[in-house]
Amino acid sequence: MLIHNASADKARLSPTGLILHTLLKVMAANFNHRAALKRYLITPDGPLDFAIGIRTESGSVLSGIVSREGAISIVHGMPDNANAVISFRTDTAVRKLLGGTSTDQIYMILKNEARIDGSITYLNLFAFLLSLLIWKKQIAAMKKERNKAKKSLLKKAPNARRDLSDELSARSKSRLRCLKADRGVQYLDDPYLPDFSIDNFPRLKKFLDIHLTVKPEVCPEIPRLLTEWHRKNGFETDSNGRSWVPVTRKALAYKYLMENREPKIGEDSLIAGTTTSKRIGCPLYPEGSAVIIWNELITMPHRTHNPFDISEETRELLHNEIFPYWIKRNFREWVREKYHNPLCQQIDERFALYFNWKVATISHTIPDFPKIMRLGTSGIIAEIKTELEQEASIEKKATLEAMILCLEGLTAYSKNLSGQSLKDAAAEKDPIRRKELENIASICAQVVEKPARTLDEAVNSMWITWVGLHMESMNAGLSLGRLDQWLQPYFVADMEKIKSKSEREAYINHAVELIGHFYMRCADHFPLTPDLANFYFGGSSSDQAITLGGITPEGCDAVNDMTYIFLKVTEMLSIRDPNVNARFMPGVNSDTYLKRLCEVNLTTAATPSMHNDAAIISTLSEMNYDIQDIRNWSATGCVEPTLSGKHIGHTNMQMMNMVAALEMAMNNGRHPLTDWKLGPDTGVVERGDFKTFDDFFDAFTKQFKFIIDQSIEYNHMLAEAHQYLRPTALLSSLIGDCIQKGMDVTKGGAKYNSSGTAIIGLADVTDSLMVIKKLVYDEKKISFADLKRAVDTNFENNSALLALVRKKVPLFGSGSDEAVAMANRVAKWAHDYYGSLPHYRGGKYTTGFWSMSTHVAFGTLTGALPSGRQSGKPFTPGLTPQPFASKSLLDNIRDVAKLDPVNLNNNIAFNVKVVPAAGDAREKTVNDMFSYVKTYFDLGGMQIQLNVVTSEMLKDAMAHPENYRNLLVRISGYNAYFVTLNHDMQIELIERAEYGI
Amino acid sequence: MKAPLILEIIGNSLDDGPGIRSVVFYKGCPLSCVWCHNPESKKISGEISFDPKECIDCDTCLKLCTVNALSRKKKYFIDRKKCTLCFACADACPSGALSRVGKEMTVEDVLQTVLRDKPFFENSGGGVTLSGGEPTLFMEFTSMLLRTLKKERVHTLLETCGLFDWDVFEEMATLFLDAVYFDIKIFDSAAHKKHCGVGNEKIFANFEKLLILAEKKKIQVTPRTPLVPGITDTDENLAAIAAYLKKLGVKKSILLSYNPLWHVKTSKIGSEDPMGKNSDAATWMARERVEGCRNIFLGNGIQV
Repeated sequence: MLIHNASADKARLSPTGLILHTLLKVMAANFNHRAALKRYLITPDGPLDFAIGIRTESGSVLSGIVSREGAISIVHGMPDNANAVISFRTDTAVRKLLGGTSTDQIYMILKNEARIDGSITYLNLFAFLLSLLIWKKQIAAMKKERNKAKKSLLKKAPNARRDLSDELSARSKSRLRCLKADRGVQYLDDPYLPDFSIDNFPRLKKFLDIHLTVKPEVCPEIPRLLTEWHRKNGFETDSNGRSWVPVTRKALAYKYLMENREPKIGEDSLIAGTTTSKRIGCPLYPEGSAVIIWNELITMPHRTHNPFDISEETRELLHNEIFPYWIKRNFREWVREKYHNPLCQQIDERFALYFNWKVATISHTIPDFPKIMRLGTSGIIAEIKTELEQEASIEKKATLEAMILCLEGLTAYSKNLSGQSLKDAAAEKDPIRRKELENIASICAQVVEKPARTLDEAVNSMWITWVGLHMESMNAGLSLGRLDQWLQPYFVADMEKIKSKSEREAYINHAVELIGHFYMRCADHFPLTPDLANFYFGGSSSDQAITLGGITPEGCDAVNDMTYIFLKVTEMLSIRDPNVNARFMPGVNSDTYLKRLCEVNLTTAATPSMHNDAAIISTLSEMNYDIQDIRNWSATGCVEPTLSGKHIGHTNMQMMNMVAALEMAMNNGRHPLTDWKLGPDTGVVERGDFKTFDDFFDAFTKQFKFIIDQSIEYNHMLAEAHQYLRPTALLSSLIGDCIQKGMDVTKGGAKYNSSGTAIIGLADVTDSLMVIKKLVYDEKKISFADLKRAVDTNFENNSALLALVRKKVPLFGSGSDEAVAMANRVAKWAHDYYGSLPHYRGGKYTTGFWSMSTHVAFGTLTGALPSGRQSGKPFTPGLTPQPFASKSLLDNIRDVAKLDPVNLNNNIAFNVKVVPAAGDAREKTVNDMFSYVKTYFDLGGMQIQLNVVTSEMLKDAMAHPENYRNLLVRISGYNAYFVTLNHDMQIELIERAEYGI
Repeated sequence: MKAPLILEIIGNSLDDGPGIRSVVFYKGCPLSCVWCHNPESKKISGEISFDPKECIDCDTCLKLCTVNALSRKKKYFIDRKKCTLCFACADACPSGALSRVGKEMTVEDVLQTVLRDKPFFENSGGGVTLSGGEPTLFMEFTSMLLRTLKKERVHTLLETCGLFDWDVFEEMATLFLDAVYFDIKIFDSAAHKKHCGVGNEKIFANFEKLLILAEKKKIQVTPRTPLVPGITDTDENLAAIAAYLKKLGVKKSILLSYNPLWHVKTSKIGSEDPMGKNSDAATWMARERVEGCRNIFLGNGIQV
């Protein structure tokens, strides 16, 4: 399967190689002779056998670590059947790894100074064993690195700028008022709710404080219970040796999990149920990416970015009982084994070209909340039973029965919550809280089994279902949908029963508080991210997207009381998750509503993100979806559209680095950083193979096609893994058409199917292509070979050329129609090609232009570009133009709006950083923001997201994070707390162009 | 038709009138104020600017100059006595350190640029502002521009120093103006001549006539006074201006805070800084001082 040298040449080992070999022997000796360590090599399931190779390209380092039957031996040369081989470019790289910090180590992998062939999982196991020996050093090194960074920041900015941090916190003090303007607002006199502030809700304030202070803790509840069940009942086969039907196996295990997990009423919460057993927990998903943290089991609490606590008990449980069980039963390793470490997987694991999300999860969809609130699990089960009475295949029957099992599990959980509530009430001393708990108990007796009748029951029904869905799919991108639409009927029903004005006001107060509780419940979990992810998705939380406003399925104004209540809660709490998105339909939704969106962006500095309904609906109309379902779209994860309750769009199927195709086209199929002749021969620049610009554009598309084809191949393999390892029957019961079809969502049971991409680098690619076209071909100012030479040397000896490419060629976003045409050409090609590919669930691949934070990570892994971007610098976020494209924001806005929406069917992220003028009145600032957004939408722009903050503030926050712990920023699609981001991401945000208003 | 050179057209301006505006900066001014924030706008004719910060030492310009006017040893790099303004160096400079000051543009060129932002004007109550320099130096050009803008239903605003021929102005411009920002800088005419190059009688006369016309033609006229330390910000000057405005029944005025960042511009066009000896000129005005200036006007019932 992998590299295998029959005999090692010991004499070729360098001093580094010898040292390494010796160190490994020391490690082996420790493990073989110290009982406290040796026990880690054997688990209740048997010994942890593996073989790892460590080498340099030249062979100067060439050692193998073999663990067999509970003993480690070190061999010269590559071991037979190595599970993984880590190859270093040079001896220096090896020494760096030995002496470097964990950040260094990550960058080494990213920058190809070291690469991994084979199973990352086994390598991480090895790394864990190593950390058992050297954890003290590792933690000290992390601390040292952290302190060094802090010191250097404090040196540059020793004095905290209280004036800046105070200005931020003062924003919530000023509040606009409005006259009611929306037809759908029935009970709020002033929908802006200016009299409400966080100070009116001490409980929410307390929750916020916990949220910003408490470190999330790894929670093994899901894998513990699942593994328990599987050990009794089998995984591939049952206790009688018969093969399990995957959907049945999963449903039974799921039901067991739900019946036996700890029913908790969060402290002081009005809503029953928790995602984990910890106060703020990281759930683990064993079929997905749980095992990937094996190497961090000891060091995770001490890492610099997003540390998680992990108890001794959890660590032992994971290493001994859980990870060994799932080491091959996860999506990544299942594919590796079945398809023998295919090329498409290898490319993914080099991180520089694309990242396919199915290695972790699908999630990314909107369940049919209205259905479960309306019918309860009993109603849905009745519907399934009716379907079962019809003629059906074995698979269909099994799938339907699996759905019933899952729904029964969810019901059992809600009953357990009811029981727990009563127990808590009996033990509660505070009479007010006791009453609340008793109330919760009766709510849980009603929901989720039966229909919800009140707003409190509806919210609890939704939350319990949400928890249930998270016990099945990873907490990454599963999204909530149009909650203002779906909760409004319950709000109205409650209001109708209340007659007096003061009681109504009290009820509105209660509704605001209840939604606040709901938001804080959503923040009770955090996705488990390996340290590497801090560079790709830095600071990202679960991204549970809520979508407000827009139009109804019939096409009418959808803005209602709940819309404004949600906006108020968003403003008061100002937290990164739920990820709030707002739809605006020009000509239908009111200016009052849009101005409120701008005000909330001003107060929170970064949310909600805003979408042009007309543009989104227009682009989705290409798909032959029902127009009513299209109008009911919700943002998913970051920004992507899903047709609520009926659509598996896996809208974040992959992050695709489009710039890699450009690099490969300039290098005849060789990817520079990974030094890998991956792609086809498409022409050599130095040989003059590209006679015209179109010849080169052709080469670019050929390389892009190659990369896309590989990524789709991997996607299909991973999809198979999902179908086998983790069908999701609960989700299927809540997605339209799965019941009628009797088909799980993983197999295409949903009414609508598609998969969405995130394509990174549109602005950078466009600008580079413009330079090539204008300077090389149109104006003939420089030869392509000379340009390439400058690019290959990072423009180091060519400052004149660098100045020329940066200043004399029109950029995307500068107001140049030619550059816009180029951007459109690139986007169209991508859209058309992806759209032409067959999809395993029968839908289409869609193209999005947003980037999470991979524009930073991919940028780090890319060399200089013809646009003048120098090696290692971030790309622009989403499709935002270069910061220096134009001094006028209006040029940016017009150019982005000119992109053809047809090609943007997985949405975009257009980031704008605005700075309110200190002296301006609140109203003027909001009006200015409104003018930009309204005009952008009038011009056809699809999406816009703001950062309302100055670079000065961000710099101050870097050096003095304690004054900015809740400073929210928009990366590219999602929100994060600025102070949790890594250094590169913080700098990228600081360097974004800012426009004064 | 005498066409002006255009210095630049700045989009997305929020400070030159209501709403989001595009500002057209003309080259050329009948005055020569020592504090002028845009010193490159004083001369009507084209110039070359050199910004040493942008220079990358590629020597492209040195190789092109046929009259030996460029040298790193010279104070402002360009010997403007030798320079023939052929602009070969500015056009070739890759980094833009050398650049042309003032571009030839037709009325259509200007319109094409500013009208791109028309959707923003509509949503924000903005429009186009003519500034500079002094747009009224080129009445025919300005008149055509304003006329077409009004036909396009764009809000028009003129920033002027007020030194123009009233009859020509009334006939060619006032029909197409929605608003005027009129500079009232120094009350005492002798002081005005000393610091601005010309006395202020004609300016004040124009102002008074404009106020009368404004009522009839529904033009929003707002006087503006730049606060320049030691020159215009004296109590004496401000009190005199405030009283004058009060007498004319003006209710609203604008005070422009002093912005010291203009000083670097003079060296780029090879001029000595006329306020170089004034130490106050290099710093922002203290907030209390600005408050004090505002109070003088507020005391006269004029909103600032």
